[in-house]
Amino acid sequence: MGSSKQVKQLDTGMIITAFALSAIIFGAGVFVGYMMNREKLSAMETSISEIVSDIENFQLQFLSFDVLGENATCPLLESTLAAINKKSYETGNRLELGLSEMGGDASYVSTKLEYSRLLVSYWLLAEKLKAACETKVSTVIYFYAKDCSLCSDQAFVLTYMKNNYGSRLLVFALDADLGEPSVNTLKSYYNVTIYPSLIINGLKHEGLVSQQQLEDTLNLGVVVGG
Amino acid sequence: MLGTIVNYVAWYVFMFISVMWLLIMLKNRHNHNNSGLNESWFPRVSVLIPAYNEERYLAKTVNSILSLNYPRKLLDIIIINDCSKDGTRRIAEGFRSSGVRVFNNRVNMGKAASLNRVLPLCRGELVACIDADSTAEPAVLKKMTGYFRNPKIAAVTPALKVENARNTLEKAQYAEYMLNILLRKMLALIDSVHVTPGVFSIYRKNVLLKLGGFDTDNLTEDMEIALRIHDAGYSIENNMNAISYTACPEKIGELYKQRVRWYRGGLQNAIKYRHMLFNRRYGNLGMFFLPFNLIIIIAIVAIFCILVLDTASNVLRNIFQFGLVRWDFLGMLPKEMSLSVIMDYIFNTPMVLWTVGTAVSLMLLYLSFRMNSERLHARRLSYFAYVFVFPFIYMVFWAAAVFYELTGKKRKW
Repeated sequence: MGSSKQVKQLDTGMIITAFALSAIIFGAGVFVGYMMNREKLSAMETSISEIVSDIENFQLQFLSFDVLGENATCPLLESTLAAINKKSYETGNRLELGLSEMGGDASYVSTKLEYSRLLVSYWLLAEKLKAACETKVSTVIYFYAKDCSLCSDQAFVLTYMKNNYGSRLLVFALDADLGEPSVNTLKSYYNVTIYPSLIINGLKHEGLVSQQQLEDTLNLGVVVGG
Repeated sequence: MLGTIVNYVAWYVFMFISVMWLLIMLKNRHNHNNSGLNESWFPRVSVLIPAYNEERYLAKTVNSILSLNYPRKLLDIIIINDCSKDGTRRIAEGFRSSGVRVFNNRVNMGKAASLNRVLPLCRGELVACIDADSTAEPAVLKKMTGYFRNPKIAAVTPALKVENARNTLEKAQYAEYMLNILLRKMLALIDSVHVTPGVFSIYRKNVLLKLGGFDTDNLTEDMEIALRIHDAGYSIENNMNAISYTACPEKIGELYKQRVRWYRGGLQNAIKYRHMLFNRRYGNLGMFFLPFNLIIIIAIVAIFCILVLDTASNVLRNIFQFGLVRWDFLGMLPKEMSLSVIMDYIFNTPMVLWTVGTAVSLMLLYLSFRMNSERLHARRLSYFAYVFVFPFIYMVFWAAAVFYELTGKKRKW
């Protein structure tokens, strides 16, 4: 009969092999995921360069303002702005949501920097257009940061506004942590120290702004701007 | 961040188990079956049928034992009527004419005590136990007794299948039992069978007597005896081709009760046999299977807590956020969905990993069915319910079992 002193066999080799094999499969999965993210990122870079050329086009059209006059130029400028708006909003969303797992990846950060620069020049042009053509659009710069408990709530409200106001509302979401010089210039110009902070039609609002407050302020802004 | 780590850890544990299975299967591809097959050696076998209020199923169970393909004079069939309140006694005693012995308990003793009571009276050198709601295929004994030629083997377990799976829950359990048939075989191959179900498991009688019979104060006495057998230095075998059939819960509430009892029994026995953990004497069971199981249980409960807290905080956050937009739920729907945004959202690393994981679990399920010469019907929704929904249901059951054990809720059968 079985002796209780006897030591039973242990399959150490098999257990280690199983650990190693599942680690290899894990590594392969992470690698495929990484390649997919690279692919997504390069698509982002393509659409950013498209938007950049749209912005250059916009600047060119602005040059014709003095020669051809308001009536001929403004509709053209407004339609270009609407096109930039749509692409830029989508690109921003894809960068934030679809690639969030890339985190601190160097090429991801540099793409985000590029996108922030684009947003700043886009905002400047939008402000110029508003002044020149009396275009009825509202602009909101949204400064966010990592260490910010209410930023996700502010993003929620802004997404709601964007869903419902479409091209009448231009939202420029700027990551204040990136250290992009043009973003820093805006930050210090508006003296932004608290996150979230919104610059609604040129006026600063610190802390979380609800849909109600935002609508009130925007109507006011449109009236002032008009 | 925590969610991401949990996701990856859960995936890794799952993949490790699957790879381990496949390796065991690969290593033993030539000797999965049949070493228990026995055409020449016929030891005397006592079949014990403990019954409590089983008037509906008892006759079927006894008839399946009477029609076993085994010399009748070597079969000693015993029904223990545990003071049933229904017609069990009448049905049991009706079988006396077929040579079945019937013992009627004066008071309700429970299953373990009922078995212990008749153990010294058994005429067989082997003892098979079968619950009164289960049946076995005629060849089951011939396929199992051969293992006992090895004196180190103290028990042999068959393959368990669900009988008459009708609704989705039962069919999902059918798939689960099929997978378990393969799992039990894998465990036998690494000498780590930790449970001998009361559905035609066979024991060596003198070992049972030496060990003092079944534990009468245990929620899962079939697990307790298996661990005790290992503790005494014996081994347990399994034949995945010897089929027995059992009924399974048809309602989720019954399944909950059954599983919480099993899991609490598991925890109870883990504590009772904690000396086996990380003990080289018990081989794979002590050094690998039991510790690994314990880690998985801790992981399951941790993941459950994280998921619950995470979901609760997300729900609260969402309530707050919808308040900020004056409860305009429809307004949160995007006016146009961009396909590329959706694709970006779907194609990420966890998605890649879980696609591989799903493929592996479907492959294991397929193998389980194939090795039982059954077909996996690709269109059966219940199989997908088993693969995708059951892990979450069982997570809740495990959390409940651990909670009850920690708070010391009274254990009851």
